[in-house]
Amino acid sequence: MLKIENLHAEVERKAILKGLNLKVKPGEIHAIMGPNGAGKSTLASVIAGKEDYEVTQGIIELDGEDISELDPDERAHAGIFLSFQYPVEIPGVTVTNFIKTAINESRKAQGLDEMSAKDMLKKIRQKSSLLEIDRKFLSRSLNEGFSGGEKKRNEIFQMAMLEPKLAILDETDSGLDIDALRVVANGVNTLKSSNNAIIVITHYQRLLDHIIPDFVHVLHDGKIVKTGDASLAHELEAKGYDWIKEKIIS
Amino acid sequence: MDLKEKIVSSYVAFEDGVNMNSDVHEIRSKAFQNFEKLGFPSKKIEAWKYTSLNAVLREDYCLFPNKKKTVTLPQVKDHFIHDIDTYKVVFVDGKYSSFLSETTHDNFDVCLMSSALAKPKYKPIIENYFNKVAKQDHLTSLNTAFVKEGAYIHIPRNTEVEKPIQIINFTTGTEDAIMTQPRNLIVVEQNAYVQIIERHQSLTQNAALTNVVTEIFADRYATVDYYKIQNDHTSASLVDNTFIEQQSESTVAVHTFSFGGKVTRNNLNFYQMGKHINSTLKGITIIEGKQHVDHHTLVHHTAPNCESHQDYKGIFNERAVGVFNGKVVVEKDAQKTNAYQQNNNVLVSDRSTINAKPQLEIFADDVKCSHGCTTGQLDEQALFYMQQRGIPKKEARALLMYAFANTVLESVKIPEVKERITKLIAMKLSVRIGFDL
Amino acid sequence: MKYTEDDLREELKTKEYEYGFYTDIESETFPKGLNEDIVRAISKKKNEPQWMTAWRLEAFNAWTKMIEPEWPNVQYTKPNFQDIAYYSAPKKKPKLNSLDEVDPELLATFEKLGISLEEQKRLANVAVDIVMDSVSVATTFKETLAEKGIIFMPMSEAIQKHPALVKKYIGSVVPPKDNFYAALNSAVFSDGSFCYIPKGVRCPMELSTYFRINEGGTGQFERTLVVADKGSYVSYLEGCTAPQRDENQLHAAVVELVALDDAEIKYSTVQNWFPGDQNGKGGVFNFVTKRGLCETNAKISWTQVETGSAITWKYPSCILKGNRSVGEFYSIAVTNNFQQADTGTKMIHLGKNTKSTIISKGISAGQSQNSYRGLVQINSRAENARNFSQCDSLLMGNECGAHTFPYIESKNKSAQIEHEATTSKIGEDQLFYCNQRGIDTEKAIALIVNGFSKEVLNKLPMEFAVEAQKLLEISLEGSVG
Repeated sequence: MLKIENLHAEVERKAILKGLNLKVKPGEIHAIMGPNGAGKSTLASVIAGKEDYEVTQGIIELDGEDISELDPDERAHAGIFLSFQYPVEIPGVTVTNFIKTAINESRKAQGLDEMSAKDMLKKIRQKSSLLEIDRKFLSRSLNEGFSGGEKKRNEIFQMAMLEPKLAILDETDSGLDIDALRVVANGVNTLKSSNNAIIVITHYQRLLDHIIPDFVHVLHDGKIVKTGDASLAHELEAKGYDWIKEKIIS
Repeated sequence: MDLKEKIVSSYVAFEDGVNMNSDVHEIRSKAFQNFEKLGFPSKKIEAWKYTSLNAVLREDYCLFPNKKKTVTLPQVKDHFIHDIDTYKVVFVDGKYSSFLSETTHDNFDVCLMSSALAKPKYKPIIENYFNKVAKQDHLTSLNTAFVKEGAYIHIPRNTEVEKPIQIINFTTGTEDAIMTQPRNLIVVEQNAYVQIIERHQSLTQNAALTNVVTEIFADRYATVDYYKIQNDHTSASLVDNTFIEQQSESTVAVHTFSFGGKVTRNNLNFYQMGKHINSTLKGITIIEGKQHVDHHTLVHHTAPNCESHQDYKGIFNERAVGVFNGKVVVEKDAQKTNAYQQNNNVLVSDRSTINAKPQLEIFADDVKCSHGCTTGQLDEQALFYMQQRGIPKKEARALLMYAFANTVLESVKIPEVKERITKLIAMKLSVRIGFDL
Repeated sequence: MKYTEDDLREELKTKEYEYGFYTDIESETFPKGLNEDIVRAISKKKNEPQWMTAWRLEAFNAWTKMIEPEWPNVQYTKPNFQDIAYYSAPKKKPKLNSLDEVDPELLATFEKLGISLEEQKRLANVAVDIVMDSVSVATTFKETLAEKGIIFMPMSEAIQKHPALVKKYIGSVVPPKDNFYAALNSAVFSDGSFCYIPKGVRCPMELSTYFRINEGGTGQFERTLVVADKGSYVSYLEGCTAPQRDENQLHAAVVELVALDDAEIKYSTVQNWFPGDQNGKGGVFNFVTKRGLCETNAKISWTQVETGSAITWKYPSCILKGNRSVGEFYSIAVTNNFQQADTGTKMIHLGKNTKSTIISKGISAGQSQNSYRGLVQINSRAENARNFSQCDSLLMGNECGAHTFPYIESKNKSAQIEHEATTSKIGEDQLFYCNQRGIDTEKAIALIVNGFSKEVLNKLPMEFAVEAQKLLEISLEGSVG
């Protein structure tokens, strides 16, 4: 589904990703771990196509198609979803209005008619109960005055509504208490199917107790330096990232 | 004869006392012509809409006091911040008092404008900085036309002045009503640091009018921490024109404490000429009777990544009138500007007035600017709460006002100044300071 | 492909004024220029009583001694007042009994404006009075209103049929000598709408006036007077458009509202005069005086969406004379290209326990300048007056400017005044977030602008809100969604 080969990317002329390789197949959950500054969030932004990030080398393909020249919204239409580490606030625009617009824009790109109000409501009802979301929350301005947990829950709710092929969860566990973490993880697990894939970006192993990855990658200095199964996450938690760094040096 | 006429016709007499064959006198003459054209500002001018000088200008001021009155230290000691060691530049009726001053120092200049204007040693600085940032408006022109004396402070690169400098102007009014026009120039070079306290004080109940102009230049990485204490008799009026130019990475803070005076007008202008500049403008005004205090501030942001913080609190009792006009201009290139402005007022009496005009002019699009302005009474709930806990209403009211004004003091860096102002506030509000400050 | 601010700017430039068409209706226009004779001629043309002619002449004489105001934060070449025709009427001015008799071409014009009378009549519960150039051409629903005793008719007709009412209230809120433009209007106004709601009557439908300048080189000087008698309620809508022309056209209207004890007037405006082209050529000069007077316990609420005009100079105000009276001002002002707007409100608190609210949203794009100018004045007798003001500005691109000039004058210690202002831009982060969810940049901007303006849009009557939203999109966006 996703193929990244020899990816180099820079921000403001500073190289962050330095030859990264990653392959994700449908039905898989990948975790990307690594110390601060390793390039985890950069990877997420590059896949989603953020403007400030320049790809200097390498390829990014989704289902065999090169997406590196597409605008962020076109990538979203192609099925990429990024759950933001810091979701932005948009005053005056309700959660419902926002998600309606997002869904209909995607449908428009696919040549479909707008979703009927009835279907939309049905879908919102279904997905919001899945994520234990209070209905009142749907009429509030997007992320404005939301707590950390509410923001993240809102991200997963949007993911549920948009049903992406590939979801990238960027530090979704940060700022969540244990209950919120459980709700978010449950949501993600329910949305998981054999047709889609998930990349979980995290610093800690905590979230990976709830979302069990098939592969764990360690990102260091812009490259994936080690790949293993779920047990690698535990090992990292126990030994810390210095352990990896030392191994690389030796 | 009205005051303008008197001033204009006395110019020849003034010229007798100065060197007329100098560049400085060129500047004076030009400013004089400008004043002759403009005269004093009237209420028809937007910037003077809420402040009338008419009553002040009606006095028959003596323009060139001759006799130098002896003033003894005990007479004036209270007007100094005396509990710490400071440099002092003291003027009595516009003339330097070496007796009261204390300017012994090594590696920087604290001296007199009169010598700075005359001696070749100071020429480069005067040429570069004198009358450069000052606006050519009515009263600044008037001051420039009669430039003669004031404080001249020059801090060279990398110099940290170890103790504050006090600039104090006393008026004795031995000649009845008196008008003085001090002119200060303060040049702080790269990475230098200075703290300055400025005060104007009359020693009698005779009418006094002070029209002071201060120019301050803060070069890169320089820090200037400036305090203005205005607690004069209600017979004295003050027009304070301060112009500050800042270069990249410099920090300038001006605190203005206005408790006294008849009519006080503060024109405080900040011009930011570089990046990453920090400007702070704060003030506390507590007045009563028929006092009038007007704060006109301007912060001009021209370059990216700069900040300005304004916080003015006012408490107005009896028939006092307060004016706050805060203008923030953000030029096109001044992206990522953070400009904050707060102005909060409490009207204590039925007859007090506040006129506020917080003003934003923004031409850049990536900026954070906000202003908040409130006018109202003290929180009745809080009053009730305090009364319920046994604090009498009068004390409760005073305490609340005290707390309201005191937030401005947080950024005062000289503990003795903070303590002095705290005491003045307490006195103004009749609060017994039985608690820890 | 990246969609940059440059692209956006480019699109904004090429977005044409959608209502810029000219109706080819034969019209009768007075010669250009202004003097006593023209004023008399206008009055005569309208068959006015002698007192009205005298009133106009007095205003004219005052006007000749006045000077044009300089204080607004706008720059323009002052109109040559002798180069304007002060009266222009569609010539085949019909005595209309029903819409069927209206010139079909005129109807087609309104159709294009999106205010098909037919449709209005069928669908919306809105009575419409249409003022084209200077003359009222059609008023709908007259009879339905008459049953309730509501008077809603062209000003010229009201002067004939209800002289006592007009005489009592005209100029009572905006005196003829109030300001330069109000004096000019008082001298030469040719028509407008008059509305009277009797005691205790709640007007069953929205009343609406549509203004349109059609003839070139003419000025439009309409005069609106709304009187809500004790305990009555009315919601009044006003819409404006003008064709695209090279020269500037002058619009100097006066609107007076009188809300007697316990009455409520809600006055909404969607202003879309031609703003000039992308080079700043042409466009309407909109110099309008709007003011309302509140008696005891009365309420006046101004809502405006200002998207058009080359220059806007407008301060809908409330004089809160009666105790417990309430004034409100909700405004969205959008400026693009070379437009300049200096707009805001005055809330004059005279009575006890009076309350006012000001919510102003300014959106600037292109090289435009957008200023908020407001006055909150608390008189010494206005015990317990309350004001809350909020002025938010949104900037798009860095060639435009946003300015706020709030004047706050308080002479009463019990007054509580709060003023807040913010300026922000549409953040890159916000756009990327929307893009990531599949919403393209144009749509994202439209969404954000709508969110920003929501507090004001919500105050508009339903029928108008939809139109206003569309206008916002057209004028900013086109481009933007």
